[in-house]
Amino acid sequence: MAISLSSILLPVSLLLTLVDAATVTYDFDISWVYANPDGVQNRPTIGINGKWPIPPIIATKGDRIIVNAMNSLGNESTSLHFHGLYQNGTNHMDGPESVTQCGIPAGGSFTYNFTVDQPGTYWYHSHTHGQYPDGLRGPLIVHDPDSPHKDLYDEEIVLTFSDWYHDLMHGLLADFISIKNPGGAEPVPNSALVNDTQNLTVSIQPGKTYLFRIINMGAFAAQYVWFEGHTMKIVEVDGIYTEPAEANMIYMTAAQRYSVVITTKNSTDANFAFVGSMDQDLFDNIPDGLNPNVTGWLVYDEKKEKPAPKEVEAFEPFDDFGLVPQDKEGIYDKVDHSLTLNLKMDNLGDGANYAFFNDVTYMPPKVPTLYTTLSTGPNATDPTIYGSNTNQFVLEANEVVEIVLNNDDPGKHPFHLHGHAFQVVSRSEDEAGAYTPSSSTSFPQTPMRRDTVLVHPNGNIVLRFKADNPGVWLFHCHIEWHVASGLVATMIEDPLGLQRQLSGKIPESHLQACKDSNTPTEGNAAGNTVNLLDLKGENTSPGPLPAGFTARGIVALAFSILAAFLGMGIIAWYGFAPIKAKTR
Amino acid sequence: MVNVFAVPVFFICFRECLETSIIVSVLLAFLKQTLGPERDATTHKKLVRQIWVGVALGIFICLCIGAGMIGAFYGLNKNVFEKAENIWEGIFSLVAAIIITLMGAALLRINKLQDKWRVRIAKAVQSKDESSLPVQGRFKRWCEKYAMFILPFITVLREGLEAVIFIAGVGLGMPASAFPLAVLCGLGAGVLVGYLIYKGGNRTSLQIFLIVSTCFLYLVAAGLFSKGVWYLEMNEWVKLAGEEAAESGSGPGSYDIRKSVWHVNCCSPGERGDGGWGIFNSLFGWQNSATYGSVISYNLYWLAVIVGFLLLGYKERTGHWPLQKPSQAVNEVESESSSHSGNVIEKKQEAVASSNVHELRE
Repeated sequence: MAISLSSILLPVSLLLTLVDAATVTYDFDISWVYANPDGVQNRPTIGINGKWPIPPIIATKGDRIIVNAMNSLGNESTSLHFHGLYQNGTNHMDGPESVTQCGIPAGGSFTYNFTVDQPGTYWYHSHTHGQYPDGLRGPLIVHDPDSPHKDLYDEEIVLTFSDWYHDLMHGLLADFISIKNPGGAEPVPNSALVNDTQNLTVSIQPGKTYLFRIINMGAFAAQYVWFEGHTMKIVEVDGIYTEPAEANMIYMTAAQRYSVVITTKNSTDANFAFVGSMDQDLFDNIPDGLNPNVTGWLVYDEKKEKPAPKEVEAFEPFDDFGLVPQDKEGIYDKVDHSLTLNLKMDNLGDGANYAFFNDVTYMPPKVPTLYTTLSTGPNATDPTIYGSNTNQFVLEANEVVEIVLNNDDPGKHPFHLHGHAFQVVSRSEDEAGAYTPSSSTSFPQTPMRRDTVLVHPNGNIVLRFKADNPGVWLFHCHIEWHVASGLVATMIEDPLGLQRQLSGKIPESHLQACKDSNTPTEGNAAGNTVNLLDLKGENTSPGPLPAGFTARGIVALAFSILAAFLGMGIIAWYGFAPIKAKTR
Repeated sequence: MVNVFAVPVFFICFRECLETSIIVSVLLAFLKQTLGPERDATTHKKLVRQIWVGVALGIFICLCIGAGMIGAFYGLNKNVFEKAENIWEGIFSLVAAIIITLMGAALLRINKLQDKWRVRIAKAVQSKDESSLPVQGRFKRWCEKYAMFILPFITVLREGLEAVIFIAGVGLGMPASAFPLAVLCGLGAGVLVGYLIYKGGNRTSLQIFLIVSTCFLYLVAAGLFSKGVWYLEMNEWVKLAGEEAAESGSGPGSYDIRKSVWHVNCCSPGERGDGGWGIFNSLFGWQNSATYGSVISYNLYWLAVIVGFLLLGYKERTGHWPLQKPSQAVNEVESESSSHSGNVIEKKQEAVASSNVHELRE
């Protein structure tokens, strides 16, 4: 199963020569192909241009990226989100279906066109209902000729880690959000992959330094990653350069990225294993025979043996909270707008398990939220028009926003904000409960920034960012199951500024996608253009579970009691009868 | 509480023991009346001893068999029933409900039982007197000689085994610790009521007592019936949602919302520490999570009981079932009773017996 690294490096180097044009164009024909990355099961997989793994998107800081996406899936709509890119001025290119665009219908085409002014390690993936784990996710690398760390390494290597399912998401999702799964147990992956394969060999040379751009593009599982015999020096997280920090093991939630510098040994005496190990704490039921690990090797000498990885005694990963951004951006200490999101999992009236922010589970609106903003004029600042199930927050231009997230759930959740990297100013340990401002007085002065952060079980996090990027940005858990079960909030940032940027500028291919799928592009969340406060007909979640005794229960209980008394009356009648007969 | 006292077991012991003690009391009364101590003290004493030996031996054998059965069952139980606990609990509950239902009505007719047994004893004694019948073999002679031993022995054995089988049927789903107290109480109550009947106490208050206990018996049975259906539905739910979900306490996911009639996140009879609700459950079939199945089956059960008793009452008053022609019905009843008691000669014996009864009462 091992494929050599050259298969990835070759196109990378080819593309680098094209980069001078300052516009990189990708024509993506998205279609079903068959793939068997773990050697256990061949399955339909979403490929691009007839191939899977899908190609990486490579650009240099300042480039324009154009992706002409053609949906040849036939049975599903799709979309592409460029994870971590701020899309400043191009909110409509962000990708999430029903938020900034309509899904690209089967047979439809759609053009993404934006510039990247941010260097770093990113990835792109479908942002259509639970779709990307079927294969539609790949690396997106933005090179930086002015990197502060460019002298630290000689060469670059991209490593993607991912969990992998043998079944299609469509069926898995139907079973996940159903009465059959009232506990909300997420499907457990069947295997782990590195660079979409297993037993990867990475040829390296002695005495050199390599920048490993490591991406977790999995659906669910976080992974512990370590290189035997080598120390990592973290220099970037989620596109933010950090002061170099040494680590023996890192913990990457779904959607997180790390760039680490590794210095190779001076001799070629031995090869070394590296391991990605899925965090099994996330799994409710670990099936027999699940191998949570995927192994690769740093190969100094192809003739030498590739040793099996050694067992680790305990997982002791690097704590990313202590990282310091290289630009030393100070903490936003004056908060203009603090919002609290209380996370919980619960069941609704259909018996299925849903995820909630502040007791509301996300349901996609009928009109993509961006189009609501653009079509409602001055009313766009009124949160009501965005619907009852979108967890919307309207943010004013340039205010400092603080998100306090209280995790009232015993699971780990990686939270991602579109359009921004946020400062992580506070993160509690497990079981700390809800955040209280007095409990954390000492915030770091130069807090770590990233776009995806882990919150601990029953703990809390506090994030801050400046609302300087007009747009409709999702804030959501990056476990794809939880996106499907509604763990999503919508940040509507500077809606009037957004109108100034984008009114009348939505490209034809975007509007065509809506026409083809009969999706309205004007009005409030329910598609009402006349009375914007009238949400009749909007998408809503199922009702709550009936509480205790409803009318139905009371009637049933009353009838049962009546039946019992009537029955006993008849028994008494019968019991006394013979005595009367005798006395006669 | 439920783990210490199995209500259905109590009622079964009570009922079987009552029947036995009535038979014994009838025998003792018969002896007293025919050859009281003043007439033939030695024979009387001997025969009374025969009765008690028969009773003792019968009880002893029953205890052995019962203990063996229950022991074997609990040895087997752990392995066989563990995996599909809900389905077994459901089936056992339904079986128990049916058993209790069928024997419950008889409790109200215990008085009749007394008369019936007088007839049988008289018959047995009379056949001994009628030496005209051809007597062949030692065994038969021995039987005649020890009739006062065999009669109670067989009776006790029969009722006892019945009790053992019923208890096994009813108590399959219960912990072993639930049996001893319930069995002892049942036996005690049965003996007490039997003694009261022997003494010929206040018949009306006795009848009230019997009615009240029968009402309880049917309450228990209705609960068991409903519980049986509930368990079968639970079994389906576990199959669908997986054990983990179904065993997640009493919160959401522990029940099938589509079938729910009411659900309160407390007062679960299954949970430890909720002892009160456990009693409520075994007496009245209470569920904190009622389903359409459990509620409808509870009501249908009572409907069946009501209809059944109305029919029984109707028949006792008119001598035939509703919608049946009276003459036909009488014939049927006669042929039924004659098939029970053998032939016409016994009709005469019945008359003799009832005259004995009248003497006895004086």
